[in-house]
Amino acid sequence: MKGPMPSRLLILDRLRTATVRPAHEESPILRRRYIRRGQLSEQARIQLMADRLWEYDAEVVKCTSENLVGAITDRLQMSKRLRFAAPAGLPAEWTVPGFDWKIDHNMTYEEIEQCDGVVTTAFAGIAESGTIVLHHSQSEGRRALSLLPDWHLCILRTDQVVETLPEYFDLFRNAPQFATYISGPSATADIEMTRIKGVHGPRFLNVILVQDTSKVDTAAIQGRSQ
Amino acid sequence: MSQVVLDPRLAPPFPKAALPVLRNPQLRKNVAHATDVIQAKRGKLVAEKTDWQELRNAAAAIKDDVLSNLGNYLEEFEARCTEAGGVVHWAWDAAEARRIILDILRKEQASQVIKIKTMTSSEIDLNPALKSAGIEAIETDLAELILQLGEDEPSHIVVPALHVSRSQVREIFARRMGLADLSDDPQALTAAARTYLRRAFLTVPTAISGANFLVAENGSVAIVESEGNGRMCLTLPKTLITLAGVEKVIPKFSDLEVMLQVLARSATGERMNPYTSVWSGVATGDGPQKFHVVLLDNGRSNILARKTERQTLRCIRCAACQNTCPVYRQTGGHAYGSVYGGPIGAILTPQLQRMEHAQSLPFASSLCGACYEVCPVKINIPEVLIELRARVVNQERRRGVRFFDPMYLGMRVANWFFTDSRRFRFAQSWGRFGLGLFTQRDGWIHSLPGLGARWTMTRDLRGLPRQTFRDWWNARLKEGQ
Repeated sequence: MKGPMPSRLLILDRLRTATVRPAHEESPILRRRYIRRGQLSEQARIQLMADRLWEYDAEVVKCTSENLVGAITDRLQMSKRLRFAAPAGLPAEWTVPGFDWKIDHNMTYEEIEQCDGVVTTAFAGIAESGTIVLHHSQSEGRRALSLLPDWHLCILRTDQVVETLPEYFDLFRNAPQFATYISGPSATADIEMTRIKGVHGPRFLNVILVQDTSKVDTAAIQGRSQ
Repeated sequence: MSQVVLDPRLAPPFPKAALPVLRNPQLRKNVAHATDVIQAKRGKLVAEKTDWQELRNAAAAIKDDVLSNLGNYLEEFEARCTEAGGVVHWAWDAAEARRIILDILRKEQASQVIKIKTMTSSEIDLNPALKSAGIEAIETDLAELILQLGEDEPSHIVVPALHVSRSQVREIFARRMGLADLSDDPQALTAAARTYLRRAFLTVPTAISGANFLVAENGSVAIVESEGNGRMCLTLPKTLITLAGVEKVIPKFSDLEVMLQVLARSATGERMNPYTSVWSGVATGDGPQKFHVVLLDNGRSNILARKTERQTLRCIRCAACQNTCPVYRQTGGHAYGSVYGGPIGAILTPQLQRMEHAQSLPFASSLCGACYEVCPVKINIPEVLIELRARVVNQERRRGVRFFDPMYLGMRVANWFFTDSRRFRFAQSWGRFGLGLFTQRDGWIHSLPGLGARWTMTRDLRGLPRQTFRDWWNARLKEGQ
């Protein structure tokens, strides 16, 4: 069967020969008639995002950009944790005093693992599924940073929240090199279909939805994914 | 449990393999419970999507476009993935895939690998090959860990340990992790798995994954999961090997807007699964520095060459067909003798094995069509089943092995009666007389002798009505006159 032909050529040759024949007569034609644009008002969209995150047992608070630093301090204090990791691109005023901050300048995985929590921004939010999207820019942090600590606080501007998944894919022209879509904390239903929160990823997901973006430094949030 | 055989070349025929489950009420209860839960969740979330049928149409069309141009899309994927720093390998069959992976691991001097749940690695029997090469494979998905420690086999594509109850999990974990005081609370069991695997994630430098999608446009790979074990394996090791069937490719990154919506709802009844990771090649300072992709044919190009069967390759392994199938719900996954159970397994396994094995699988269906209705990529599974049944019958007929087989004899006799209306009516009246002898007063036949007992030993048969449709029609016409 195989002969002397390298597998790459053999497989490609077989696939091309196979597809010379016409497809099944009922082969569907691609028409993208599914819903692309959301219909909700801005307020309803943000509320949907918050509701869906709540459904996942994520903690959600809304605040304005003026009291964001206060909201971050509140969340950190309520977590009763001390040592927090932060990506190098996180705005300096968000690393509020009173906690042990570890800024990610090539931290080892062990060092990240030692942190009780992590604070990051996000690239976008998808309201319909309550999804946080990370493209792992300077302020979103590399992938391990939002994975190893048990507690994740994500700061999301309301103008980053879209309603549908297709709307998210319209936000950029070039696909990111890395993307992580987080819909609620780590979970499993492998044992008798009982949903258990927290297997290997962060067990606690916290989101601050920031309204009125005029005072937030957008340049710091965008970073390398743009 | 350990007598379960998931090698299609060795597994017993379906009716025989199904017996242990049919005789085990606990197992049937576990399977029914799990499939009920997923189905209820799926139903609710599909109902809220007013554009569900349009999403299915688009998903099916995207996969069909891929299949019609598979060679081109794979070359595009290979080029983009290589540019991004990945190394692409091509494996004609399971043996070559195993050899490629073992070669990479030997070069890395790996003694252990961490694995994300991948059905494709089970398809190629990777774990036994790793073991005989002295490499310890550590399964990190909770269900796969339960099966690995319990020396059991997967029985479902998405929730492979759904046949194992919490007390069985407790027993396995207590024994294998040395935790005598472990409770059977799922929370405690999950926490035990977290602690057990944490060291492995941080120290084992090589990982093996499957893939949900390969994106031709930019050479990226997408994996959907729930627990975070996937993110650990994709991020922390130094070397990552991804094994993927050639049909996993999709044209564009933005095609994920369709595929992710249909996959999560169909597979686990979620709007989106907790974690989806997409990555393209390697990058300094983030994730593995060496990345290999092994593209596996293993019979897929043969499936592609067949007009009706080609649609099998649209499958995105969501297992919605398993959850809804009245046969799977009774027998569980092990009866299918392959890692791919349920309706999709009934069509995929015989084709991957080039029809030499697993010949009973196309018959393991009532052709009710529930699988087609829930399939997010609209695979007409009953149509493919019938095609495969015809192939099995033709093969046997050519070989003449079944000339005196009672079923084939019966079929030929039936054929003789059914092709002539006088003969047919004659058979009908004698049939009514014959069956009438066994029909009870309630109008049902509870037991038949001989071959007929194979029907009545598990269910009743309704007795034939006093009047045939033809008689009724003629009587009605006469009355009208």
